[in-house]
Amino acid sequence: MSLALIVAIPFLGALLPGLMIRSGRNASALAAGFATALALLMLGLNAPAVLRGEVVQTRIEWLPQVGLDANFMLDGLGLMFAGLILGIGLLVILYARFYLAKTDPMGQFYSFLLLFQGAMTGIVLSDNILLLLIFWELTSLSSFLLIGYWKHLPEGRQGARMALAVTGMGGLAMIAGMLILGNIAGSYDLSVILQNGEAIRASEWYLPALILILLGCFTKSAQFPFHFWLPHAMAAPTPVSAYLHSATMVKAGIFLMARMWPVLAGTDAWFYIVATTGLVTMVLGAVVALFKYDLKGLLAFSTVSHLGFVTMLLGFGTQAAAVVAMFHILNHATFKAALFMSAGIIDHEAHTRDIRRLGGLRALMPISFVISAVAALSMAGVAPLNGFISKEMMLAEAWETAWLDNRWVIAALATLGATFSVAYSLRFIGHVFLGPVRSDYPHAPHDPGPGLWLSPGVLVLAVVLIGLMPMTTVGWLVDAAVADVTGADVYVSLYLWHGFTPALAMSLIAFAGGLGLLLLHGALSRAWDGAPRPEAKRIFDALVGAVRGGADALTRLLHNGSLTRAIAIAVIVILGGALAAFFGGNHAPGLRAGTPIAPLQALGFLLLAVVIVATVVLQANRVLSLVLVGVIGLMVSAIFVYLSAPDLALTQISVEVATVILMLLALNFLPKVSPPEALAVHLRDGVIAAAAGIGAGVLAYAILMRDFAFPSIAAYHLANSKTEGGGNNVVNVILVDFRGYDTFGEITVLGIAALVIYALTETILKGGPANDRLLAMDPQGRAGDRHPMMFVVVARLVLPVALMVGVFIFLRGHNLPGGGFIAGLVVAIALLMQYMASGLGWAEARQRTDQHGIIGAGVLIAAATGIGSWFAGVPFLTSNYAYVSLPPLETFELATASLFDLGVFLCVLGAVMLALASISRLGIRAGGTVSAAAFDINPSSPRTEEAR
Amino acid sequence: MNHWIIVPVVLPAILAGLTVLAMRGDLVLQRVFGLGGTVALGGVALALLVAADANPPEVYRLGDWPAPFGIVLVLDRLAALMLTLTAFLALCVQLYVIGTGWDKRGRHFHALFGFQLMGLNGAFLTGDVFNLFVFFEVLLIASYGLMIHGGGRERLRAGVQYVTFNLVASTLFLFGLATIYSVTGTLNMADLAIKAATLPEGEAALLRVAGLLLLIVFGIKAALVPFHFWLPGTYANAPGPVAALFAIMTKVGAYSILRVFTLILPPSTPATGALYADILLPVALVTLAVGALGVLGARTVGRMVAFAAVASMGTLFVAVSQFTPAATTAALYYVLHSTLATAALFLIADLILARRGDLSLAEARPAFAGSGLIAWLFLGATVALAGMPPLSGFLGKLMILEVARDQMALVWSVILVTSLLMIVGFAQAGSTVFWKSHALPADHREADTAALPFVSVGLLLAAIVALTVLAGPVMGYLSATSASMWDPGPYIAAHALPEG
Amino acid sequence: MEALLAAVIGLLTAAGIYMLLRKRTFPVIVGLALLSYAVNLFIFASGRVVAGLPPILAPDAAAYTDPLTQALVLTAIVISFGMSAVIVVLAIGAYLETGSDGIDMTDAPSDRDGPAA
Repeated sequence: MSLALIVAIPFLGALLPGLMIRSGRNASALAAGFATALALLMLGLNAPAVLRGEVVQTRIEWLPQVGLDANFMLDGLGLMFAGLILGIGLLVILYARFYLAKTDPMGQFYSFLLLFQGAMTGIVLSDNILLLLIFWELTSLSSFLLIGYWKHLPEGRQGARMALAVTGMGGLAMIAGMLILGNIAGSYDLSVILQNGEAIRASEWYLPALILILLGCFTKSAQFPFHFWLPHAMAAPTPVSAYLHSATMVKAGIFLMARMWPVLAGTDAWFYIVATTGLVTMVLGAVVALFKYDLKGLLAFSTVSHLGFVTMLLGFGTQAAAVVAMFHILNHATFKAALFMSAGIIDHEAHTRDIRRLGGLRALMPISFVISAVAALSMAGVAPLNGFISKEMMLAEAWETAWLDNRWVIAALATLGATFSVAYSLRFIGHVFLGPVRSDYPHAPHDPGPGLWLSPGVLVLAVVLIGLMPMTTVGWLVDAAVADVTGADVYVSLYLWHGFTPALAMSLIAFAGGLGLLLLHGALSRAWDGAPRPEAKRIFDALVGAVRGGADALTRLLHNGSLTRAIAIAVIVILGGALAAFFGGNHAPGLRAGTPIAPLQALGFLLLAVVIVATVVLQANRVLSLVLVGVIGLMVSAIFVYLSAPDLALTQISVEVATVILMLLALNFLPKVSPPEALAVHLRDGVIAAAAGIGAGVLAYAILMRDFAFPSIAAYHLANSKTEGGGNNVVNVILVDFRGYDTFGEITVLGIAALVIYALTETILKGGPANDRLLAMDPQGRAGDRHPMMFVVVARLVLPVALMVGVFIFLRGHNLPGGGFIAGLVVAIALLMQYMASGLGWAEARQRTDQHGIIGAGVLIAAATGIGSWFAGVPFLTSNYAYVSLPPLETFELATASLFDLGVFLCVLGAVMLALASISRLGIRAGGTVSAAAFDINPSSPRTEEAR
Repeated sequence: MNHWIIVPVVLPAILAGLTVLAMRGDLVLQRVFGLGGTVALGGVALALLVAADANPPEVYRLGDWPAPFGIVLVLDRLAALMLTLTAFLALCVQLYVIGTGWDKRGRHFHALFGFQLMGLNGAFLTGDVFNLFVFFEVLLIASYGLMIHGGGRERLRAGVQYVTFNLVASTLFLFGLATIYSVTGTLNMADLAIKAATLPEGEAALLRVAGLLLLIVFGIKAALVPFHFWLPGTYANAPGPVAALFAIMTKVGAYSILRVFTLILPPSTPATGALYADILLPVALVTLAVGALGVLGARTVGRMVAFAAVASMGTLFVAVSQFTPAATTAALYYVLHSTLATAALFLIADLILARRGDLSLAEARPAFAGSGLIAWLFLGATVALAGMPPLSGFLGKLMILEVARDQMALVWSVILVTSLLMIVGFAQAGSTVFWKSHALPADHREADTAALPFVSVGLLLAAIVALTVLAGPVMGYLSATSASMWDPGPYIAAHALPEG
Repeated sequence: MEALLAAVIGLLTAAGIYMLLRKRTFPVIVGLALLSYAVNLFIFASGRVVAGLPPILAPDAAAYTDPLTQALVLTAIVISFGMSAVIVVLAIGAYLETGSDGIDMTDAPSDRDGPAA
């Protein structure tokens, strides 16, 4: 459990500062410090066991189905890194408290910092590579937040995004790599994977996995060519730079390489990829660092260089090299963190980090001078400081190692790197502290209070102590760590004096060369600034910009808002898909005997065809095409009559009438003609449409000419309609009984439609441009006789008849064509005629019940009928019936189904009335009687011109 | 006979009916009944979830007519899962709507909302393909009303497109249903499963066509390329909370495909074979790519989120297209995740819109009140949606990468590259909306301090966290679910179909 | 006769699609209406067709046509009626809001959502 806690504490702690910030900056700093100290303490409690060579483990099951479990382990390597992370974290927290300004949101800062700290601890303690991936990406995320901490600074925002993009990319590559690794090893548990080094290196997937994982490591540890994000991350507050970009986050990649060392190292691929990258990075970073004017820039590139240093050593793949790598990780963490903090102090006091504006600070800031000097000398590799020892050992390894059988390449380049690193280290001292005191500092510098110099002080103390007595101070730790890296026992021996070795010679050369470079610095840097060289940020920005631009362009091209195009594409794809699907399968010709064509049908067909074509050809004239659509509807219902579907015919006709009226009303508000289109467009659409038509027709024919492969379930309906459903009209029985549930849904649709229409009308009438346009429309139908006497009289006479017919149709529906739906429409249309005949005002005034009520009642009655059957212990909508004779009507059967049908009736009635009433309200607002106008449109004169 | 099965359909219908009948004028009553109804719905859904896990699939014979002659509802794990998800999402959205007063901006919001739920639940429960169509129409027509709720120029124009495109889809649905009936002579899903498996050789072609038409119909709902064109405009112009609710609409498409193509036309069907799987994988990858590019290229937060929704459907269908039990499990997990994450992000976008005035990413606007908290919510939702650790999105992607191991090179690279595109896009957007604004003089407009909207978003994010932390148990239920989907024996047996 | 029915379905589909591809709301609505005729006839056809055998139970009737597809068509007709009512009014609304009955949004300012409606 304890390990999980060590990881969890910083995350929990991340909540505290945010909460405690109300009680002041100190409170939140203390909270953060307390959390870190606690975690450090718990780590310490586990240390003895680890140093005895045990591996402390904590296993918590999380997602076993995938192999992702919250398993943690603590070994020497983990101990060293965790100690580093938490220890330096503590110092940074102290430092930051005094570094940040009063205006900076400190609670937020500490939350981010602890978030990062937790993620980092998680990485080094994970015993499950999927879990490790999670913490890995979390570090990218939290460093994104930390770099962007000063929201108002553009550099901060850009640096943050760049860091996220680069390290995020690496992280994603690593996901793939880790999954491959897990698949080879058969488990995502690190402890298992570490056992399977042989198998993994032997696998054909070794190289891809290696490359993908190294991508993650190199991006994180700022190895060439992914180094460029690190300097831009310096936009972060200096405590962040000191923590993330020197001591910890950038070490995550190194840690992982060390972690995976037993599994991945030892092959040529490993050596040439890792060692070479490290070597190049070391030299490149050192060279660039020498010419940076920004103190933090200089330190950033020196960090890049030193990370290369360690990477190279890990790349060598020898145990001795691993020892140096681990040792230098500690040393670099100590002096680099100290240097960043010093840079921060200088920035804080002198209000600038530009080396050209500094110099001579030795007298003004003695404490800072001592701290910086010692740290910088260690970075330069001067005895007796810790940097000296690890550098000596590194050079010795470099001397031993051949590259493509060439003994000189690595040695020479390593020396070169060392040379530059001497140069920039001494420059840090010389150009900032030495030299004459200047009069033009942006702000009079003086030493800060202990709050700021305490942390770097402690670190510098470590620098000296480790240098003087390496074995006592860290030997044991390095020992434990290396044992886990190499998976073999080692006896680390660290000491200052190695005797007169090639390494000593090399470092003497480096030192001399470094001094020389520093003396020539002026000239060199002029040449450097003059020389053209690729600016990584510009390249990166150009790349991202190009991708985003491309994405934007493509997205707009694809989604240009054209529905027409979308439909065209859909139609084409559907046709193509259907064709492919059809010809991919076996199709036996249909055996059903067709019915012969009587001349009457042929005539009717020709007529219908003509009308359809006319509808299309004359579509520009909307009223005309609408009338033609009505004709088509009537002819379709004629087809239904002929093909023994009386119910369909009845419904079709009544719906037809209602629809046409509706659309005629609509046309009062819409343009009466469609603008002409180019012939090419007509042709193109014509081809698509024809193809679709042929497709549908052929499919229909194929179906019509064959029988069901299995007997249709309709047979059951025919057999049981009377006996079980109590009705002769099977269609109606299906509607209200066998599939009454469909009908329940269907009438709900009608009801909802009416509600939608009503709500929309309200929205239009509530004011705004739509309402204005309505008012602007010239009142229609003023001319001529609005309410023809004959029509009014007829309408009045028709009403009662229509109501009678409605009731009649409703009651007979169960046995003969008819039913609630048709009845509802008939009555609705009859009422509609009152609207038309006498205008809306008249009708509205006489309409007592609100249509909403009718709809609601309809739905409720239908639902209630269904629920009623629960009390009979039978399922929803189970019907029951009895025969009733009600003179003068024929004896009819009254089923609960009829009650349900009543719901249908009401719903239809209410819906149609509400829909039409809504539209007519638009008409009233437009200042005319829509319904009357609907019958004296003059197609040739569009009443509303299009506002363009 | 367990009448509870039909309650998720009837309850919202009755409440909506009452709302229309009795409380048209009274918003408070509407809110109370709306919320109460949704909470009750959630309770029922949970009960059904437990029941479905404990018992084999249960058939509810409407009108007491035996299958396949009448319509049946079927309660199984999958249906119960979708019901629960829907109820939870609905609750969050409703809280948000009430908290922000969106329901004051037009008429009948709560009635339409209720009917929408009725349609969704009906679609998830039904065991009859034509009835599936009917309830598609119920949920669609309600969604039309919700989408144009409040009106406004762009919204109405987008509404016309949305409705038109879906009407075309509905027509296609009917073509497909008629074709499948003309071959098999039945509409009951379980019956269809048997008939499809034992179909005479010569009928294969027609069945394949029918299946393809249905696949496309559902693909349109699921916004799969090239049938996704309706989504960005619709979601970006719909009211924020409605767009959030629509996060479940695309899942209706996913659900239907999972249901129809594991039960009726699984790859083992002789007549159809792997036809649909072969189509789906490339389509899914392209959809994912289009979505991710849209996220990166979007010029407004609204469209960015809309395209993120497209991308998440792409990811989901990578899993669906594998058509294996393990892949289906991953797909189900991703359904839960992407529904919650997308919805949360749509609500957050609406929070921003309400305070910032617009959602343009072209330039920064002054920092707005409460941007700190909203930034955190935005971070959480985007991390989840981009599939970054530690949230459910990452777990989902991990599983999908796992199940797609056979096409490692292609699928993995598409998924990982698109993840990067989305991360960059979201980071860009977040930095413009929440960071860059601090470079400008702050505006001191008084922001509404209503807590309810934040509660609602918080609930969604909490659910995402729960989905992450409790991934183990959740996956337990889900693998049981997909196992029963891939062994439809009990499902079919529950229908007690007549012999022969 | 089957051929004629199939031809009618084909013609209606073609006409419907063609109207759908016009760039104005009204013709598109007409197109949807035509399509719904087509699909109703198609569903009807999927029950196969015979003349003079209405599905009204009668003692003297020899056989009946498929009643189920008729019921399905009825449902479809009703639903499409509701749908066309909505789209019609929506078209009016959009036209009144924008002053144009164009159905494409190619001019829509897609780089700025809101302000909140």
